[in-house]
Amino acid sequence: MPSYQLNVNGKAASVDVPADMPLLWALRDVLDLTGTKYGCGVGSCGSCTVLIDGRAIKSCQYTAAAAVGKKITTIEGLSEDATHPIQQAWIELNVPQCGYCQAGQIMTTAALLKTTPNPTDAQIDAAMEGVVCRCGTYARIRKAIHKAAELSKK
Amino acid sequence: MRRRDFIKLNSFISGGWVMAQLIPIKGLSAATADCFQPNPLIKLCSDGKIIVYVIKQEMGQGVQTSLPMIIAEELEADLKDIVVEAMPFDADKGGQYQTGGSTSVMRQWMPLRKAGATAREMLIAAAAKEWNIGVENCVASKSKIINTTNNREIAYKDLINKAAGLPIPKDPQLKNYKDFKVIGKPGQKKTNIKDIVSGKMKYGIDFKLPGMLYAAVVRCPVIGGKVKSFDAASVSSVDGIVKIFELKEMGEGVQNRPGVAIVATNRWGAFKAQQRLKVEWSYSDEAAKVNSANYAATQKERLLKSPDIIYNEKGDVVKDQNTKDASWISATYQLPFYAHATMEPVNCIAQFKEGKFELWGGFQNPGKAASAGSAFFGLKSKDVFINLMPMGGGFGRRLSVDYCCEAMQVAKNVDQPVQLLFSRADDLKFDVYRPASTHQLAAKLDVNKMPVQWQHDHITSPVGDSILGNKGNVGWLSIEAGGGAYGDVYYDIKGFRSTVSRVEPPVALGWWRAVNFTYNNVVIESFVDELAKKAGKDGLTYRLDLLKNLQPVKIKDGSLYDPRRMEAVLKLAAEKIDWTKKRAAGRGLGIACCFYNHAKAYTAHAFEVSVDKSKKVTIHRAIVATDVGTIIDPDGFANQVEGGFVWGLSAVMKSEITIDKGAVQQSSFFDFEVSRMPDVPKLEIHIIQSNEDPGGAGETSVPSVIPGIMNAIAAATGIRVRELPLKKSGYSF
Repeated sequence: MPSYQLNVNGKAASVDVPADMPLLWALRDVLDLTGTKYGCGVGSCGSCTVLIDGRAIKSCQYTAAAAVGKKITTIEGLSEDATHPIQQAWIELNVPQCGYCQAGQIMTTAALLKTTPNPTDAQIDAAMEGVVCRCGTYARIRKAIHKAAELSKK
Repeated sequence: MRRRDFIKLNSFISGGWVMAQLIPIKGLSAATADCFQPNPLIKLCSDGKIIVYVIKQEMGQGVQTSLPMIIAEELEADLKDIVVEAMPFDADKGGQYQTGGSTSVMRQWMPLRKAGATAREMLIAAAAKEWNIGVENCVASKSKIINTTNNREIAYKDLINKAAGLPIPKDPQLKNYKDFKVIGKPGQKKTNIKDIVSGKMKYGIDFKLPGMLYAAVVRCPVIGGKVKSFDAASVSSVDGIVKIFELKEMGEGVQNRPGVAIVATNRWGAFKAQQRLKVEWSYSDEAAKVNSANYAATQKERLLKSPDIIYNEKGDVVKDQNTKDASWISATYQLPFYAHATMEPVNCIAQFKEGKFELWGGFQNPGKAASAGSAFFGLKSKDVFINLMPMGGGFGRRLSVDYCCEAMQVAKNVDQPVQLLFSRADDLKFDVYRPASTHQLAAKLDVNKMPVQWQHDHITSPVGDSILGNKGNVGWLSIEAGGGAYGDVYYDIKGFRSTVSRVEPPVALGWWRAVNFTYNNVVIESFVDELAKKAGKDGLTYRLDLLKNLQPVKIKDGSLYDPRRMEAVLKLAAEKIDWTKKRAAGRGLGIACCFYNHAKAYTAHAFEVSVDKSKKVTIHRAIVATDVGTIIDPDGFANQVEGGFVWGLSAVMKSEITIDKGAVQQSSFFDFEVSRMPDVPKLEIHIIQSNEDPGGAGETSVPSVIPGIMNAIAAATGIRVRELPLKKSGYSF
C-alpha cells in the first residue's frame, strides 16, 4: 500500500492507504481525527469540510494522495481549547443542537472569513449553502459568523 | 462498580427509595473519590463534583442541559460543579431510556425535582447535625449550606459522609416557582458545547475499539425480496475484506431488509466493496411494479370504500361521496414519504463474546434494541449491554432498531467488535419513513359558512405495521389518527367523524419528528383556511370564531385541551405579525395553530410571503407564538423551536422520498433535498410565560409551520396547493 506524507494541523503525519482513499477516512480512521464527520460521502452535505491550503474542501471528495504537500487543517487544529474566534462566537450564540455538522460549518466559516472578513448575509448564505444542518441551526450560524467576524478584529 | 458495591455504599437505598421512575443501577463508574449517592440520579463527591446521571438520550434536543438544570435548581447546586453523565444502561429498565415524543422534560420534571430536593434536605440535615442547630437555621445555596445564625458555611463536599448516614426524607419539600434561580433563566450554554465546537465530542460513529472491524451491508432494494446469490469474487480487488456473508431478515419489530454483509479492516474498503459487490435478488413482479404514482392512486381509490376504522365520531355525520348538496365542501390532500436523514447516519458497534452482546452507539430506544436483538438469537435482554453515546440527530429514526440488530447479526459472524454504518444512500433507501398519506376533508357549512359537520377520511400505511409488528393489524391505525383528527375538539364543530384506512406499505415506516401531527394538523389547518375563504373571512378571525364558544375539554386520549390557550397563541402570533395591517399587493399572510396533546403544547405560526412569477417564495416574516408551560432552559428551548421551523420548511417545500420499480430512488442530499441556509429566514419567537407544568418543544414546534406556509402562499397567489412538497407544483424558496 502506498504511503503518503501529510501535513495535518501543522504536524507531519504518514498514512499507508490505497491511492483512492478519500482524505476523510484517512483523517478519521488512520489518524483518529474524528472531529471531521462523514455525512454523505458524495459532497452533498459538507459535514466533512476541512481546510486545504486555507480553502474549504469536502474531504470525502479529495483523496489523501492529492493532499500531499498541502496544509490540511481540521477542526482539531483550529485551536487547542476552543478559543478560536469562530469557536468563541459559536459558544456565545449557543449554536449547536446535536453538533454533528458543526465542524463542517465552522471550517467553511474559517475559509469564508479568510477571503471575506466582513461578510454580508447574502455572502454568508452563498458560502454556507453546501453545509447541511438537519437540526436547523442556520439562523444562529449566520449570527455567529457576524460575531466571529467582529471577534476576529480584536 | 457492580450493583452489590453500589448498595453497600448506599445501604439505605434498597428499602428507602420509593420513586418508581428512578432506578437502582449497575455498571456505575468506579468511584475515585468518596461519594454520596442519595438516589440513582445524583452522586456528590468529596472532590466537589456533583455527577448528574441523565437517563434520556442526548440527540441535540438538550436533555444533558435541561435535565441537570432541574436537579441543580432543587439541589441548590452551583451549575459549575455539575458533571453530566449518561445513565449506564440497565436492560431490566430498558423502557425508561426511550427518548422521543417531546416528553423528556415533561416526564422527568417531578422525578428530577424530587431527586434534587431529597439530596438537599439530607445535606441540610447533615449540616444541622454538624452545627447542632435546627434545620430551619440552615439554607442551601451554591453547593453549600449556610448557617443563618452566624453565616458560617460548609460545602456539600464536606458533608458527604455525614449525609450518607441519614434517613432519606419521604416527601421532600419542593421549591416555590418564585424562588427559582436556574429554571427558566436565560444564558445557559449547552453543557457539551466546548466539545462540539472543538471536534472532541464522540458520537457513536467516532468510537473505535481495539481490533474493530467495519461492516457495510448491501440490502435488497425491494421490500419482501430475498438474496438469490452473490459473487464474493466481484470485490476481491478491494483491500482489507475479511468476510462476506448473507444477512437475514430479523422479522417484525426490527424491519431490516435481507442483504449481504461485508466486513473489512477499514471503513473505506467496506464502502468500496458495498458499491461493487454483485448480488442477485429475487422478488415478486408485483413488488417490482410499485411506484409513488400508483401507490398514491391506490390511496385515492381506497377513499371510495368503507373505512377500516372509525376513530372518533359525534352525531350522524356521513358524507355521501356523490352528494350534490352544495353546502358540503370537500378537498383531497396528498402528502409524501419523508426520510429522517440524521446528519450522523445510523450506526452501531457490536461485539459478541461468551454468549453476550455489548453494543456502542446512539439509540433512542436502547431497551428495544436489547429485547428485539436478543430475542432473535434466543437470548435475554440482560445478555445485551449497551454503551449509550450521544447522537448526531434522532428525529425518531433511532427509535427503530434495525441498525443495531443488524450489527448484532454481523458481530455474531466475526470474533472482533464490528461497526456497522449506513452510508447516506443506505440511510435514505432503507429508512423507516414518515408515511405518505391521502386525506379527504369535507365540511357542511351553515348559512354563515361555519362548519357544522366535519368528516376526515385518512388513508395511510400505518407506522404500527413496522414498529409494533403484527403487520396488517388495523388496530394500529388509531395511532395515525392523532394530531387533530378529533375534528370537534380543537375547533367547535357540532358533528364530526374521523376514519382511517390502511393500504399495504411499500417501505418500512417509523416515527418521524412530530409523527401524525405532520399530516393531520397540516391538512386540517389548510382545510380550515379553505373554509375561511368560502366564508369571506381571514384565517385568524375564522379560527377565533371556531374557538370562542368552546370550553376546556378532555380529548379522546385523556389529555385536557384548553381552547383559551389556543386562542392566546393565535392572537399573539397575529399581533406580532400585524395581522390587520394592509399589505402591499402580492403579499400574503398565513396563520396556523396546533395543540400538541401528548406534549401539552400550544403553538401558532404566522408568515408573510410573496411569490414571484417563477413561483419562488420569499418569506418576509416568520413568527411563532408558543405556550408550553414552564420552560427550563430558554435558549435551548428557542433552539428547538428554530429547529422545528427549519424541519417544517424542508417538509413543506423540498423533501420527498419517491419509489420506482419497488425501490426508493433517493441516495444523497442532492436528491433528498432539505433546507439549506439560504432557505431559512429569521424566526421571531414569542413565548407565553406560564407556571403550568412543562410540555415539550422538539416536536411541538414543527406541525403548524407547514400549513402556515401553505396558507400564506394561498393568500398571496389565490391558489391552494393540496400536494406536498410544494416543489412538485413548481414552487421553490
